[in-house]
Amino acid sequence: MHTNFANQFLTLLRKEFVIEFRQRYAISGIVLYVVSMVFVVYASSIKVGPKEWNVFFWLIVLFAGINAVVKSFVQESGSRQLYYYQLVEPSVLISAKIVYNTLLLMALTVLAYGAYGMVAGNPVKDPLLFMLVLFLASLGFSIAFTFLSSIAAKASNSATLMAILSFPVILPILLTLLRLSSVSLRLIQDTAYRKDIVNLVAIDVILIALAYILFPFIWRD
Amino acid sequence: MKFFKLLQFLTLILLLVVNLQPLQAQGNRDFMRETGKIYVVTGVILIIFAGIVLYLVRLDKKLTNIEHQLKEGKNE
Amino acid sequence: MWWKSASVILLVYAIIAGLVVPLKPGIDHVTPDSAATGKRFDLEVHGYNTWYTRGKSTDIRAWLQYDSLRAIAGTDIRVLSDTTLQVSFDIPSTLPNEGESAMLNLIVSHPTDGVSLLPSAVEVELDTAHTSSAANWTDHPIENLHVVRDFSYPYRNVIYETIRNTYFHVPMWFALMFMFLTSVIYSIRYLNHPNEADDRRAVAFTETGLLFGLLGLTTGMLWAHYAWGKAWSNDIKQLMTAVALLVYAAYFILRASFDEPEKGARLGAVYNIFAFASLVPLLYIVPRLFASLHPGATGNPAFGSQDLDNTMRLVFYPSIIGFVLLGVWIAQIRFRILRLQQIADDQD
Repeated sequence: MHTNFANQFLTLLRKEFVIEFRQRYAISGIVLYVVSMVFVVYASSIKVGPKEWNVFFWLIVLFAGINAVVKSFVQESGSRQLYYYQLVEPSVLISAKIVYNTLLLMALTVLAYGAYGMVAGNPVKDPLLFMLVLFLASLGFSIAFTFLSSIAAKASNSATLMAILSFPVILPILLTLLRLSSVSLRLIQDTAYRKDIVNLVAIDVILIALAYILFPFIWRD
Repeated sequence: MKFFKLLQFLTLILLLVVNLQPLQAQGNRDFMRETGKIYVVTGVILIIFAGIVLYLVRLDKKLTNIEHQLKEGKNE
Repeated sequence: MWWKSASVILLVYAIIAGLVVPLKPGIDHVTPDSAATGKRFDLEVHGYNTWYTRGKSTDIRAWLQYDSLRAIAGTDIRVLSDTTLQVSFDIPSTLPNEGESAMLNLIVSHPTDGVSLLPSAVEVELDTAHTSSAANWTDHPIENLHVVRDFSYPYRNVIYETIRNTYFHVPMWFALMFMFLTSVIYSIRYLNHPNEADDRRAVAFTETGLLFGLLGLTTGMLWAHYAWGKAWSNDIKQLMTAVALLVYAAYFILRASFDEPEKGARLGAVYNIFAFASLVPLLYIVPRLFASLHPGATGNPAFGSQDLDNTMRLVFYPSIIGFVLLGVWIAQIRFRILRLQQIADDQD
């Protein structure tokens, strides 16, 4: 059973990568999205202080993330979904999607950080903490967005629904992230920021457990 | 039905009066700030009352629709 | 049903007791609000809900207090009216602290009104020209305060009578949480054993929760306008309620997006559970991160640790129970309407 789970999981994960490379337009679309949003911030010629830097950065990551993840279920054809349904356990499928999307979002956030840092400067004072925040952000966004996109995919107006469903749900994570990233930019002094990290991990654990338990109910038809 | 239209209108006016007061009154000592701001408490109670009444009106409309539906079903 | 009558009785009790019980006597403001060291100065105290003329004026005592050890006692106390007092203070020629000025609290102790306090009432500035005063900061410690037991609500500056809103605005939040929690429980039950009744109950409780959320938000905005000066100040609790409303608005949009009711009910239940779980951190974790104007948080001296005393508890808890029961009642009616709707639709 265990080897079965691992095998299915790895196969699905590899499949996600293969598909991503085949449909290179999707990933290039997201990259272009990030670059153009960075450019918009630059071209609006607002003087970007560390505080604005922080807000703009997380807005870019949020919107790029939602666009990158939404396709994981929405853009898969009905026949392929039926094919999965016969072949794999739903829990394996959601785990593979979440892990894949986390990796994708990690690449995306690092790219956004690089591009944004080049254009608007890099005010990060604690790079190690900031990288940890980026990782936690990718993880949290990936869990919430993947799960919600699987719900939204069942409806006809999935793109709109995705935005409506995910923004309120992501807000607690986003607020904690903003706080932590302010700490790493030395915008605020907080010695208890480790508690925020623990909170963020706790939210992620709760959401991943719920996604794991609830996904079979979404997948049933 | 007309009665409920009227009731809805009245509660709406009530809500507006309660909500507009803060917009108009920017002075330090105005009506709402008199006698220890007791009218703020009145406003809060009125809002709660009006909100529950508006919801009741909505439920009433739903029930009326169902009654019509059931009557038509019987006649067929 | 007994609990329906209970909700009405409790709410009537909360409204009557909440409005009738008076506030404790307090100090509204003083004039002038600044003084210089080394001089004698007259302070006019304006009380709120006070009956200064009752009792002997020689029994009234007043202090300007810096901290628990340093205070100066008022002399020559004259009662001008029920709400006005005149007190003279001999300010020592030095400040209790090292700085240029010191903020002093005013404490008035009255035989029938009891003790009232105005924080940061008078600012004393260092005046190096007058160094002859014989008075000392430690000569007159605060003692022999009048203890008066009465049934009244605490007095707070700026808040005044609106402290009564605690019984009407705050229970909205409790009712909201109860409704959403119940709705989540029914959603879990629905996923375990799909049946239309549990789904309808989840919908009814969510809708009632939304009603209470809207009421809590509007009443909060009205109160905030007069207590904090702004109707919307991006306070985390305001933000939180707004997000909760968004989540449940999304819940109804999601349900409406499916042609088959079974699919909408199932995915709605899944979203309900997931969204509620993600809202819990908003309630308990995130408020810790941000300064809040609400009591129980930093940055709100006017409404601090004493914001709920034992007298208030006697009205506050019944009010919460009353509103929760009222919510259950409303939800039950909504549930029955949904069931009738189904019967009517089946007949067509």
